[in-house]
Amino acid sequence: MVEEDLKIEVLFPETANLYGDTHNMVYLKQCLPKAEFIETGLADEPYFVENDVNMIYMGSMKESTQERVIEKLSKYRSRIIELIKKNVVFLMTGNAMEVFEKYIETDDGTQIKALNIFDLYAKRTMMNRYHEMQIGEFKEKLDIVGYKASFSMSYGDNSEGYFMKVVRGRGINDECEFEGIRQNNFFGTYYIGPLLVLNPLFTKYLIKLLGIKGKKLAHEETAIEAYELKLNEFSDPKREG
Amino acid sequence: MKKDFKFYFAQFSSKCVYGLIKFVKLFKKSLNGSHYPGKIALKFDKDFLGKIEKPEKIICVTGTNGKTTTANMIIDALEKNGFEVLNNKLGSNIQAGIACALSTGATITGKTKYDIAVFEVDERSSIKVYPYIEPTIILCTNLFRDSMKRNAHPEFILDIINQGLEGNTTTKFVLNADDLISCQIAPENKNKVYFGMDALLTDTTECHNIVNDFANCPKCGSKLRYNYLKYHHIGNAFCPNCDFESPEAKYLGTNFDFNKMKYSMIETLKDGKKQTEYNLITDSVVNIYNQIATTACLKEFGLSDIEIKKAFDDYKLVESRYKEEDYNGLTIKTMLAKGQNAVACSRVFDYIKTDSGNKAVMLNLDDFYDAKTSSENICWLYDTDYELLNDPSIKQICIAGKRRMDHYMRCLIAGIPKEKITVCEYEEEEPALLNFNKIDKVFVLYDVYTIPMAMKVKEGIKEQVDIILEKLEKNHVKISGNNDKDLTSEETKK
Ligand SMILES: [Zn+2]
Repeated sequence: MVEEDLKIEVLFPETANLYGDTHNMVYLKQCLPKAEFIETGLADEPYFVENDVNMIYMGSMKESTQERVIEKLSKYRSRIIELIKKNVVFLMTGNAMEVFEKYIETDDGTQIKALNIFDLYAKRTMMNRYHEMQIGEFKEKLDIVGYKASFSMSYGDNSEGYFMKVVRGRGINDECEFEGIRQNNFFGTYYIGPLLVLNPLFTKYLIKLLGIKGKKLAHEETAIEAYELKLNEFSDPKREG
Repeated sequence: MKKDFKFYFAQFSSKCVYGLIKFVKLFKKSLNGSHYPGKIALKFDKDFLGKIEKPEKIICVTGTNGKTTTANMIIDALEKNGFEVLNNKLGSNIQAGIACALSTGATITGKTKYDIAVFEVDERSSIKVYPYIEPTIILCTNLFRDSMKRNAHPEFILDIINQGLEGNTTTKFVLNADDLISCQIAPENKNKVYFGMDALLTDTTECHNIVNDFANCPKCGSKLRYNYLKYHHIGNAFCPNCDFESPEAKYLGTNFDFNKMKYSMIETLKDGKKQTEYNLITDSVVNIYNQIATTACLKEFGLSDIEIKKAFDDYKLVESRYKEEDYNGLTIKTMLAKGQNAVACSRVFDYIKTDSGNKAVMLNLDDFYDAKTSSENICWLYDTDYELLNDPSIKQICIAGKRRMDHYMRCLIAGIPKEKITVCEYEEEEPALLNFNKIDKVFVLYDVYTIPMAMKVKEGIKEQVDIILEKLEKNHVKISGNNDKDLTSEETKK
């Protein structure tokens, strides 16, 4: 694969853009300046429907947007499943992950049907926001640091397909030690914000997964220094999460 | 709600605690227990706010940014016109702060001593405040993203406000026509007037900020277009595909003359329009909005043009968030940049960019408490327009503190050249690293709880200026006719 041929689709950046999530793609663009980034608005048809893409990204959004996104993407459920099977990279941060679960239960018990691709469901409690800093083991010698801030948690068994094993913090819910979803190259996580900026080693892994080898990241040394400092700090149990 | 024994006991206890705090304060001035009496009152009677007698007219001021400034302006204007105003200026803006103000402004049996109250209300306290006090007027300055930990997103805050206003039919709303988010307050209530600001030369028609939380038409989902846009989602919008548009401002600020410091307010009346000229008390757009909001609110309250003019005649805006000092030819500006509030910081960055001269910026934005005990969530940096600092007039950016590597990385992603950035561990080290020969101004930014640090940095800058001047003087004695500028640069290069 050559960088020029890479097609990365960013879904609904005008509205799925809370908590600094958009900078995952701003940074990836700086790392892969020759790749094509396709930004699809909520009113438009996603590019992946008719074309092949190498990666799809979607970030955190407000709850009302999440419902509109589910409605929008439901039409393309089978195409999404096909792309996951074809090993297309998906990165879904914050509550974007929940779009691919069975349903989202709201405060009053209403179940909002989601894409039902993964056997999990989410529960929203709008008066109960939680926040924490986290470390997760993505694979051996690759820890991911990040933050969670959410009204919702997910339930169900993700032990066979998780994004990370939790080192500090909680998994997809209070009782769970596994964070996020992984199936083939689909990565879903409750981590918010610029995950790829904060985790240069994971970003390198991701770029390799896209078929680009030996690529130096944008501002790599600084990113790694910042990452190591943060990992150190997050590992300190005396620091409140 | 009727007063009962529980209420009398709560009011009595609150009064006692208030008296006690007042007494202790005689000896210990720094004592901070500003909403404690209110807390006590609510502890003994959770319906305290509903039961206590309230002033006949209550104005509540809320919104993400500018509510303190605006509430203070309204209080000041009313007082200048002879009204006695109960307020929570010195207390807190949550439920307990309002309970405290009402308790202290009433007799021991809970009879109010005031006719008018002006309260600043925290948006998240809406549910606990509005159902009990039904304000005469609610003024909302704007709704933006704020702390992502607590406030999530503006729609969440809007929902909280609207939950607090459910069933409210009596309040008049004074809303910002240029902010389509806060325009959605109390959708059932038709008793609304809007204020707005006419196009400025600096306005655009496209959003250049990272954050725009009202990008799409709520009716048809199309991307909104703007007749003029000031920043983020603040402007005059319309949908190209349906009839959705910004509401018409009954009070429109226009004809801004920054030389004479005057502006006009066009008021739409039933039988036409009326234009009134007022003193402009500030040249910052953010505070002009606050002044326009204040004027609109006072008009709706019933003050005359003359009375409002009187209020702004010699009004001195307390710029506690911004101080300027000239020190031997170098301008030092200390500015509050509310950390974790991306919009407030972006406004400050915009101010720095557009300010005249060559500048250095000391970016000290770490949260004081998080730096001590936790690790600050830095996601907000990526909602903040660091790109504004990537400007030829900004010659140097100094970064210090626990989160220095995060700010450094953010600056690099914003395209700021590495050579312009200086990173050190502690803020106090920054002044010695300043490259004085390139700059006319230094901006020292700080967060709410880090004023002492900012003052230290400022003193450090002055010391450096003294050192340079001293060296220059010595060299003048040694070699007459030396080129001062070149020498300065040699001396300060690290
Ligand atoms: Zn429309």
